[in-house]
Amino acid sequence: MAPRSIWNGTITFGLVKVPIKLYSATESRTIRFRQVHIKDGAPLEHRRICTAEDVEVEYSEIVKGYEVNEDEYVVLTPDEVKAAAGDRGKVVEIEEFVDAAEIDPIYFEKTYFAGFRDDPEPYALLERALERSGKAGIGRFTFHNREYLVAVRSRLGVIAVHTLRFEDEIVRGGDLNISKPKKPLSKKEVSMAGSLIEGLRDPFRPENHHDEHREQVRELIDARARGEKPKKPRKKDRENVPDLTSALEASIEAQQGGS
Amino acid sequence: MPRAKWKGTIGFGLVNVPVELIPAARDLDYHFRELHEKDSAPVRRHRFCSKENKEVSWDEIGRGIEVDGKMVVLTDADLESVQPERNQTIEIESFTDIDEIDPIYFDQPYFLAPANRSAGTLRAYRLLVTAMAESEQVALGRFVMHTKEYLAAVREREGALALSTMRFPDEVRSVDMLPEIDAEPDPAAIDDAVAVIDELSTEWEPAKYEDHYRLRLRKVIDSRRKGRTVTAPEPREEDLSPAPDLMAALRKTLESSGKKRSSSKRKRSPASKKPAGAKQAAKKSTKKTAG
Repeated sequence: MAPRSIWNGTITFGLVKVPIKLYSATESRTIRFRQVHIKDGAPLEHRRICTAEDVEVEYSEIVKGYEVNEDEYVVLTPDEVKAAAGDRGKVVEIEEFVDAAEIDPIYFEKTYFAGFRDDPEPYALLERALERSGKAGIGRFTFHNREYLVAVRSRLGVIAVHTLRFEDEIVRGGDLNISKPKKPLSKKEVSMAGSLIEGLRDPFRPENHHDEHREQVRELIDARARGEKPKKPRKKDRENVPDLTSALEASIEAQQGGS
Repeated sequence: MPRAKWKGTIGFGLVNVPVELIPAARDLDYHFRELHEKDSAPVRRHRFCSKENKEVSWDEIGRGIEVDGKMVVLTDADLESVQPERNQTIEIESFTDIDEIDPIYFDQPYFLAPANRSAGTLRAYRLLVTAMAESEQVALGRFVMHTKEYLAAVREREGALALSTMRFPDEVRSVDMLPEIDAEPDPAAIDDAVAVIDELSTEWEPAKYEDHYRLRLRKVIDSRRKGRTVTAPEPREEDLSPAPDLMAALRKTLESSGKKRSSSKRKRSPASKKPAGAKQAAKKSTKKTAG
């Protein structure tokens, strides 16, 4: 089954125009529940109640307001909100290119795949050039009346479009004000930790990481559908080991014994 | 600083570090409230049982899912029964190079901060930060938050432990779903495209990109507050039809970007100086990329 594209547009860089369609590259598999009344299993309805009149309000009587001061709202119509989208058409406008590896993972938000539209030539050309150069095109595009910063890169022979977070949205490590320990770490402790890391090195194989919890929730649902009673929750958390060096020594011993 | 979303320990061998999970991305969006048009009073959402037509309080709400047309109702306690034994622990399973993890897997970014200021906690935390920075490795582990299990990548960033929740492999779609690319670009054209990319290349400086949407929305709000009318602009008229001659478009781009750059501090690459014809430009860039 061919997936449905969510956007038709054009990637531009300089005078080169690459007609594309965008597809969601990810889909959540989290089991979705509805809110229900435990007593009778009936789904809940969300009703809007006016806080001034205490009466139910129909959706057609609702407007959107931004609170500029306490209890002072500026009401915006959908068209006014749309004005913030700007005047960009259906374009992913690449402004410049950067080394794809330079972009810290913290900036990546959501990924789309671009497939070619009409003509595969310009698409294939851009994909190859991105792949060979190891670069990502940085640009902007407007989707559902909102402008996004994006990185356009090659991934497994296709073009991936990642939306990026803006710098001011990113919390810095220094903002956390983490205190340094009074007693500094010894070289021995750091090197023991290093060898523990070495011993646990393993290439990333995504297929090895299943959502086992999701499977268990699925089993629980099926058991309940058959009318079975659930088990009691088990809890067993780790104890804190007070002495760092002896914990490291014991860990390395356990690792060597296990291998 | 954003508030902690979760508290627990991160376990590394037998070393346990009490930590709290702090969102590493701020929500700077302007959020709107629903107002009753008539009196501009905010509306509040109340939950009603669709069967009894009565309001329902929080402790009467369960999670329902339909199985074969029948509603199965689970409570939070039911869901807790299938949580892993060590549900307050991020158990490190392996270490890997960060380059091996495609950015597509990264979901929500967080920091792990020490949960207390005891000497033992701070030393164990610092040990993890130091050892991970030195080895340049990312730890992969799992933890449970709000009755959902997450795969997480933990690494050193700016002297702290950064954690990213990750998508599970079955949540990432296969690229096979895309239309097959039945085109083999001309090697000379790829050379030219790479030359264009090089010419338009710069350092990654995230601070220079502003959220235009947020800025414009702020302006719209301010204008409306002063009673001015705001209308959405018409989309820009642009010729988006692909260039009939791809090579010519690439070369023209190369020339014009070269001109733009020459006025800036950046040095132009020799490839962009030549206003020359097809063969010359292609040759030049071939040499450049081969070198």
